[in-house]
Amino acid sequence: MNHTITTQLSNGTATFSVDPSLYPLDALYGAAYIFIDRCFVFLDKDEAGRVVVSLSPKKGPADEPTLQSWAGEFGNELLSCAWRHQISAQNRQVLEQVTSLALAGAMGPPSLDDLSNFDFSSQPLEDPLGIAMSWEEKYKKKTPAAAAGTPAVAAPEAVKP
Amino acid sequence: MNLQLPALAPRLDVTTQAFFRFRQVGKKVLITNYEGFWALLTPEEFERYATGTVQPGTPLHQRLTDNNFFKATYDTRKAADRLWQRRQALTQGPNLHLLIVTLRCNESCVYCHASRAGMDQVETDMSRETAERSIDLILQSPNPNLTIEFQGGEPLVAFDVVKHAIAYANEKNKTAGKQLEFTMVTNMSLMDEEKLEYLLANRVQLCTSVDGPEHLHDGQRKLPGASAHMAATKWIKRINQAYADRGLDPTLYRVEALLTTTRDSLPLWKEIVDTYVDLGCRALFLRPVDPFGWVDKTARRVEYPREDFLEYYRNAVDYMVELNLKGVQVLERYAAIFLSKFFGNDPNFLDLRSPAGAGIGCLAFNYDGKVFTCDEGRMLHEMGDSSFLLGNVTGSSFKDIVSHPTVRSMVLASNLDGQPDCINCTYNPYCGTQSTHNHKKFGSVFGRARESTICAVHKGIQDYLFERISTDDPKVLDIFQKWTTSRPRTHFLQPPTA
Amino acid sequence: MTRLAFHKSLYAGKAVDEAVKLFATHATCELSETEAAWVVQLSAPDARKELRVARELGNFALGLTVQSRQEAA
Repeated sequence: MNHTITTQLSNGTATFSVDPSLYPLDALYGAAYIFIDRCFVFLDKDEAGRVVVSLSPKKGPADEPTLQSWAGEFGNELLSCAWRHQISAQNRQVLEQVTSLALAGAMGPPSLDDLSNFDFSSQPLEDPLGIAMSWEEKYKKKTPAAAAGTPAVAAPEAVKP
Repeated sequence: MNLQLPALAPRLDVTTQAFFRFRQVGKKVLITNYEGFWALLTPEEFERYATGTVQPGTPLHQRLTDNNFFKATYDTRKAADRLWQRRQALTQGPNLHLLIVTLRCNESCVYCHASRAGMDQVETDMSRETAERSIDLILQSPNPNLTIEFQGGEPLVAFDVVKHAIAYANEKNKTAGKQLEFTMVTNMSLMDEEKLEYLLANRVQLCTSVDGPEHLHDGQRKLPGASAHMAATKWIKRINQAYADRGLDPTLYRVEALLTTTRDSLPLWKEIVDTYVDLGCRALFLRPVDPFGWVDKTARRVEYPREDFLEYYRNAVDYMVELNLKGVQVLERYAAIFLSKFFGNDPNFLDLRSPAGAGIGCLAFNYDGKVFTCDEGRMLHEMGDSSFLLGNVTGSSFKDIVSHPTVRSMVLASNLDGQPDCINCTYNPYCGTQSTHNHKKFGSVFGRARESTICAVHKGIQDYLFERISTDDPKVLDIFQKWTTSRPRTHFLQPPTA
Repeated sequence: MTRLAFHKSLYAGKAVDEAVKLFATHATCELSETEAAWVVQLSAPDARKELRVARELGNFALGLTVQSRQEAA
């Protein structure tokens, strides 16, 4: 692993640097976030552009084995986060499908109460084919200016993804 | 074993195989595919498969074709059917609902996972109103089959709440129309004939804890002034007899017992199995100790390296196989679950599936009305960590609870197709992880499989089972097939009330 | 006086602002900016408290930065 670890016992902080070309920033944040409930975590950058991570104990001074252990565990977590980041990107579709299936399955179909409580005004509904429009509204005679500029039915390209 | 992959590398041919993962198991190589078909190959057979030189018309070619290992003959429909068998439970919603009717317990156990309260702490009893609101939510689950499991503490301490919950659930189910079951996990020490009569009459399935022989059980589970082992075993025999007296099939209707393996259990694998067999129990669940509840404080006394657990497991299951060969019917639950998965009949065990069942397959309703993703999430709350709290029976709707961001995170985190290590693991189609365990041990719901004791145990057990399968001993295979047979216990379904 | 320099490529400016607002009751904080960093000069009557507040503020700013990235994703 291309990062160096030095433990500074003078102020009880484990400091090490991480090569950002090996680990994406999201992986670094992921690993750092996992440590903020047990350490004070501070990130900085050195002149070479490497990210410098500092881990300090929350309660009392920490001995050298503890600091070494944190640094080692951070390295393991960083690797795990980096790999998971890559896997998530590759398998995004299947992960999202399974998650949607599981959550939709757990919630079940919408009940009548759900439907009656649904606020149709709170979300903009796309209606590219004008299905929700009245006949008169959809096919009423247009002024020459409007007719020239707007197709009766919105072109598919106009639909927002 | 002469599997020499580096030597094989120049001759590898990746154009003929469908997607597969492989792992050395004993003297053979196990290959599995995405949907969960598998084959055990000799190193020579694996070499032929890896180098694309399996001759058509040979038995090996046929075996690999039957199990979808060739690109040219890959049967998509067959793969989809197998995958759906594994995933269909995901679409059904929570089935298991734990009702923690009290935290009070009259026993104290060295490994207590339930975060017990003293017998004078009546404020930890569930109120009738909380029980009713919990059941109102439970009956909103879209799953047509619901199990309400009474837990504690010791649920017999709050027996009035249990009775009220059963009556209320049955009444409400007249309109909900679910297939409803009740189970109770009890140490039995407060059981009496009146309570038993009620539980039998209301078809409540009973489950207890037996850690093994008396000295082991009583050393770990302290019942003031009495033997916890005697209390449990006396009632197991009494209840089994009561089932038989009611004309229920004695091979199917028996008290289920669970054990927690501590360090003291490890050398006693034979005595533990014998205790269960002597009690007439037909199943053991050899579970390692969990890092929840009191184990946090007693770990130095009860914990052990997982390789020691796996040696204990192998010894115990080898012995169970021996007993089966002599006509004694006893099985190990972990083995039965994994074998069922290997043979294409996933039993949907909530802690051993991908994604895991927390929040989407089960919910835990605490005595105070707080709702959690699972029992472990509730235990962590009692230890001061409320990460898995989803809501409250008085203020949250069922949909609020199951669509909670924590549930979504756990579903994502326990999907093995998104996890480092698991993604490449040969056992991916059969395995599962636990977000609560990961959170406790690693500080994140994702965890790190390579360092996880759960992963070590799951891999070790599957290695053992495939090693036994790889010997091709027809008698052992026959026993393993029998262990996967699941007969529904329909007596425990509440009678239709509509 | 403790000086915290939050590198702009690592911390969200809004996250640092929010963290400073939260901890302003525990220490005197002065905000400034260099080309590369959001800078917080922090002082409290007690040196031990000052260090603690500085570190808590750092954790909070990091937590908010991570959360803001997740929300934006």
